[in-house]
Amino acid sequence: MLEAFEAFVGVNFWTMIFAWCNLLILYLFLRKLLFNPVKNMIDSRQKEIDDMYTEAEKSREDAAVMKADYEEKMNRANEESEEILKKAVRRAQLREEEILHDANDKAARVMKRAEEQVELEKKRAINEVKNEVSDMAIDIASAVIERDVSRKEHEALIDEFIRTMGDS
Amino acid sequence: MDISVNGPKIYFEIPIFGGIRITQTTVSLFAVTVLLMIAGYCLTRNLKKRPGRMQVILEKLITMLYNLVEDTMGKHNLVFAPYIGTLFLSSIMGTLIGMTQIFRSTTADLSVTLAWAIVTSVMVWYHNIKNFGVKTWLKGFTEPIVVMTPMNIVSEIAQPISMAFRHFGNVAGGSVLTSLIYGALAALTSFLFSWLPEAVAALFPPIFQIGIPAFLSIYFDLFSGFVQALVFSLLTMVYVGSACPPPAEKPKKEKSK
Repeated sequence: MLEAFEAFVGVNFWTMIFAWCNLLILYLFLRKLLFNPVKNMIDSRQKEIDDMYTEAEKSREDAAVMKADYEEKMNRANEESEEILKKAVRRAQLREEEILHDANDKAARVMKRAEEQVELEKKRAINEVKNEVSDMAIDIASAVIERDVSRKEHEALIDEFIRTMGDS
Repeated sequence: MDISVNGPKIYFEIPIFGGIRITQTTVSLFAVTVLLMIAGYCLTRNLKKRPGRMQVILEKLITMLYNLVEDTMGKHNLVFAPYIGTLFLSSIMGTLIGMTQIFRSTTADLSVTLAWAIVTSVMVWYHNIKNFGVKTWLKGFTEPIVVMTPMNIVSEIAQPISMAFRHFGNVAGGSVLTSLIYGALAALTSFLFSWLPEAVAALFPPIFQIGIPAFLSIYFDLFSGFVQALVFSLLTMVYVGSACPPPAEKPKKEKSK
């Protein structure tokens, strides 16, 4: 069989048609199976990564806000507790003073009452002694003068005597 | 030693529509399509959020493509990225498939590069008319002065032709040069052993053909193939991109290239 060749520099319309067909088929096929799926994959991955970064950034900001919040709360709590402590100490001091004061008062009162009682006892004792002495005086006097001294008649006299004797 | 520079071989002819010639190029075109389809299918069979090694490379390449399209055409033109990617892959695979020696490079056939260049031009015209209106587009030919109109029309027609020939010429020229050098190396071998009796010299293989053409192949097939695919895609991006300005600038008239 004789080998036949196309012209080296020539255009065959049917070859062009074949070229177009192949280009079209290849274009449709590769677009559907190669370019679009891979591009979509790249884009979706990119989007996922972007989302992740956004999310992480957001969480970080949230955490920072929370941290600030907590710190503020903590500070406030510290201040509050200090204040409470201070108040308690002050109140305790006040209470201490009060108690001391009360105790002093009470002691003073007790002391006073005791003194008063002592005084009263003393007076009563003195009165008793006075009565005894007056009785004794009357007895002695009646014995001395050998007659009955009328208590009624001489009471004033005796009292006068006792008073001069030792009222002091 | 005879070196023949031929176009693609014609395998057979389907006797309809005035004869559809099935050539090496046709076969290569389908081979490239099938190969790329299989590759595309296998690479994207199980895409995962947490990519494996292959997926990372694939994603890197696709990201590079989208970045290139975005840089050249703008963010609003990212829809063109799959087409640019297909064009680039078709071009570079079409060139590289020639290295198998089973298939002929598709891009070494002017029909193919011209077909692609015409697609680019049609896209440019379509988007120009769509974005600026027929009137503005036609008026663009008379700028800067009316006398320039024939020149503008010629440049409009020359654009796909120059694109097609640039790509075709680089690949076809590379293959011609490679076959010439093959011939030269064979000649050099036979010259080296010419002092021997003819029967003995014929026993030696063309030893210079081993290894040396590989370096040429690195330039003509790999480097040139890559550069031409890139240039073709870049030109397409630039031309189509200028026909699709950013949405805000749409009302403004832009000189069509």
